[in-house]
Amino acid sequence: MLRRMPNTTATDAAPQAGGSGNTDAPAVFVARGLCKSYGSGDATVHALRDLDLDILQGEFVVLLGPSGSGKSTLLNILGGLDAPTSGRAAWRDHELTGADEAALTAYRRDHVGFVFQFYNLIPSLTARENVELVAEIARDPMRPEEALALVGLSHRLDHFPGQLSGGEQQRVAVARAIVKRPDALLCDEPTGALDVETGKLVLSAIARANRDVGATTVVITHNAAIAGMADRVLRMGGGRIVAIEPNARRLAPEELVW
Amino acid sequence: MSVLDRKLLRDIRALRGQVVTIALLIGAGVAVLVMSVSSFLSLRGAQQAFYAESHFAEAYAEVERAPRTLLARIAEIPGVALAEGRVTGEARVDWPGAEVPVAGRVLSLPVGGEQPALNRLRLLAGRLPEPTRHDEAVIHAAFAEARGVRPGDEIAVILNGRRERFRITGIAHSPEFVFTSRPGNPLPDDRGFVVLWANEDAVARAFDMQGAFDQVVLTLAPGASEPAVIAELDRLLLPWGGRGAYGRRDQPSHRFLEDELAEQRTLAVTVPLVFFGIAAFLLNVVLGRMVEAQREQVAALKALGYPSFPIALHYAKFVAMICLLGSALGVAAGAWMGAGMLGNYRPFFRFPELPYLLPAWLPLLAAAASFAVALLGVLAALRRILRLPAAEGLRPARPAAFGGRVLGGVGRRLGARAKIPLRGLLGRPLRTLLTVLGIALAVPMVVLGLFWWDAMDSMVELQFDRIERGDAFVALTDPRPSRAVREMARLPGVLAAEGQRIVPVRLRAAQRSRLLALTGLPEGAALRVPRDVDLRPVPIPRHGIALSRRLAERLGVREGDTVQVEVLEGARRVHDLPVAALVEDIIGFTALMEIGALNRLMREDDLVSHVALRVDPLAAEALWQRLAERPRVAATNVKAVWLRVFDEVIAGLVLTSAVTLTGFGVIIAVGVVYNSARVALQERGWEMASLRVLGFTRREVSRILLAELALAVLVAVPLGLVLAQWFVGLILGARDNESFDVPAVISTATFATAALVVLGAALASALVVRRRIDRLDLIAALKARD
Repeated sequence: MLRRMPNTTATDAAPQAGGSGNTDAPAVFVARGLCKSYGSGDATVHALRDLDLDILQGEFVVLLGPSGSGKSTLLNILGGLDAPTSGRAAWRDHELTGADEAALTAYRRDHVGFVFQFYNLIPSLTARENVELVAEIARDPMRPEEALALVGLSHRLDHFPGQLSGGEQQRVAVARAIVKRPDALLCDEPTGALDVETGKLVLSAIARANRDVGATTVVITHNAAIAGMADRVLRMGGGRIVAIEPNARRLAPEELVW
Repeated sequence: MSVLDRKLLRDIRALRGQVVTIALLIGAGVAVLVMSVSSFLSLRGAQQAFYAESHFAEAYAEVERAPRTLLARIAEIPGVALAEGRVTGEARVDWPGAEVPVAGRVLSLPVGGEQPALNRLRLLAGRLPEPTRHDEAVIHAAFAEARGVRPGDEIAVILNGRRERFRITGIAHSPEFVFTSRPGNPLPDDRGFVVLWANEDAVARAFDMQGAFDQVVLTLAPGASEPAVIAELDRLLLPWGGRGAYGRRDQPSHRFLEDELAEQRTLAVTVPLVFFGIAAFLLNVVLGRMVEAQREQVAALKALGYPSFPIALHYAKFVAMICLLGSALGVAAGAWMGAGMLGNYRPFFRFPELPYLLPAWLPLLAAAASFAVALLGVLAALRRILRLPAAEGLRPARPAAFGGRVLGGVGRRLGARAKIPLRGLLGRPLRTLLTVLGIALAVPMVVLGLFWWDAMDSMVELQFDRIERGDAFVALTDPRPSRAVREMARLPGVLAAEGQRIVPVRLRAAQRSRLLALTGLPEGAALRVPRDVDLRPVPIPRHGIALSRRLAERLGVREGDTVQVEVLEGARRVHDLPVAALVEDIIGFTALMEIGALNRLMREDDLVSHVALRVDPLAAEALWQRLAERPRVAATNVKAVWLRVFDEVIAGLVLTSAVTLTGFGVIIAVGVVYNSARVALQERGWEMASLRVLGFTRREVSRILLAELALAVLVAVPLGLVLAQWFVGLILGARDNESFDVPAVISTATFATAALVVLGAALASALVVRRRIDRLDLIAALKARD
């Protein structure tokens, strides 16, 4: 099980990268002194170097940075898929670092929705069934049809992934991620494989999920244009957060230009 | 080493689990081929060498008593190369401590202390009797070994009711006793049956045959017609009480050996064929899927400008490496099993030498066959891949078009998780069919190993529980009036006694004929109960003859047809008799008549030649001794002893085949299930890792992936049981063994064991793959698929 953090609540922690848009909201993701390195000796690669981070409840954060900047590693640690070499990461009052496999699985199952770059749908299940698959293991899911309606796919319920376009497949993936009403929605390059117009449709779906479900949303991208729709943009480089850029006004996905 | 070759070695290392399981499959096919062909060749080689060395006779004739002068005329029959007369007789050996009387046969050696011209003895120890001695004998190696007889030992023998003592001068093998058993007994009983050779004077005196012979053995000139010689021989011997001449084919030892060789030849051809068939098929499934899983690599190679040929060669080498490994394992196992099989034969077949022969071409043939089969298995997959345009191959395989209504109304009530395996199975029906068939084929292998126990049990039950209900069967030295039965019934320990009359006959139907013993049974006989195919007792027909179903098939007659019966004893008349009933038998061929009708046919009185006894078990041993002392008793066959010998001899053989074939069944089940699971994981690891990221537990993901295989196994096992029944029928049908029939009986326990073995092997394979599922790389799932 995830260990409760003694004494430390997200709000007492001195925020180095604290929230800006909605400063009243509590921090849900907290990272302190996070380091992650791969390999050893001369071949050591430092993916994260002593990174501190707070992400507030309901916030829409875009992690921007070139390849190798550490954004995926950070997302993996926040998503309970990877463990830091040193430092701590926590979800609310649950310590993520040091948690065992079963606890991390339960964490992902109960709190996190994932959207992958390559959709990762089950080809033998229809759109509705792919969403239903996650609804089956969730504690308080919405109806799969409802989730698909949120992403604008009510007319494609019974199509198999092979019968859907890339953008449609990604929107099914978003519906699958939000059907469990996740506390956090983690998206790894969700538009990486899509063209502009399709990408915008997917981003609208993600923005709607953030707004309607209230899921704290973290989107990884190397596409700077997406930054406009975030509450805050965290620029990463060399395993650190190099800049924090709050947006005074969040753009709607349709307004994005790239 | 080229880069592709380095890739080959690394692929083999990476896929070692799959490589080994497929190699084992190929190895099993190679092992069966090597085992059966090498043991066949070894047996055949020993037979040919011994027959040639000992001048094994090609035709035989028994006669009541013919003057030696007749031999010159026999030698003049056109087509006869060499003829030799001899005196033979039944012997009873008074062996101290023998639990049942030891039966035997004594044969004369030519005057002058020479080896016979035909059927020469191979002396293992000692020498032939001195030409002048009447009290010296050579003994057959089987009994000598079983009872520890050595040259110089003395042995007491009752010949023609008279007790004689012989000093053993030598121990020998004989081509006519390669297989020795009591007449009518299909299994060797070395402790209970003896063959002795003594000087002609001694044997002739014992049987009152001075200046005469009762058996002639001969060889044929090149190009001679055996039927013509036999017909002429019959004509010459008829006035002297000829009992019908026969060719080498009907010589008991030779026929049993030939039956076994024929069976071994069938095995050498059919079983490896079946096995290679299964292996080819599995390779198609497994290697095909494995190669298919590399489609993106192939496409990349093609995109880089590799021509198709080196790529095809690369995969052919991959297959060749697996075959090489499989063949090496298979040849080693096959040679070991072949040598073991030959060891199993040694108590059955007494050759002076029975060396294990493994000709050099056999491993090469086996390896070539396995490679051909394996290549055939992957050909389709290779062609598909090589035809793939590079660009298409580089994209992930398009998700199969799953028909929306595949599951119909049932689908709507099932959860999404349950639909994944169901759609996986139903969406690719051909692949599913192949996997199911592959697993199903493991079941018959195990059944083929185990069912022999059932068959033997059923054989024993039918023959010794249902048909022959007596405890002992006594052969009289010559036919006696039926009061002999009443006398015997009064012996202490005898609970019931029934007389039988057994006479040698030749049955003819159209062009087919057969020498056999015709048994006359009293009406309502209780100690020998003929039964029909449903095991209901068949009343002994008052008119006509009852034949066993197997015999009727070989003669090509049916109930109601007429057969010609030529009695080869006494007045030797020829009669046409209707086939009045068909009965079941297991050992030898049965022909039955009502005893009165048989005696009338022979124009003889109420005579019996054999007596069946039911015996009080507490008084049995004393009774055997008492019977042994009676001068008119030629031999006593005791059922309990026969059953013990049967158990001893058969148990080892059956155990060997059961263990081997069960092992093969496990290899098949593991081969199919493990490889299917590995390929499924290879193909769908990305999907499964995605589910893990989405919060599915290891157990849930394993269930989803393995449920498809579990369903396949659950369909496959019952199908395998049906196939097993069919395979057993097929293999028994291919048997051509006249000595005994093996009923196609498979017990529930055998079926259950086979099912459990296959389920267990499948489960174990699935567990191994499950460990890999537990180690899925979740982070990779977020990134590009590979």
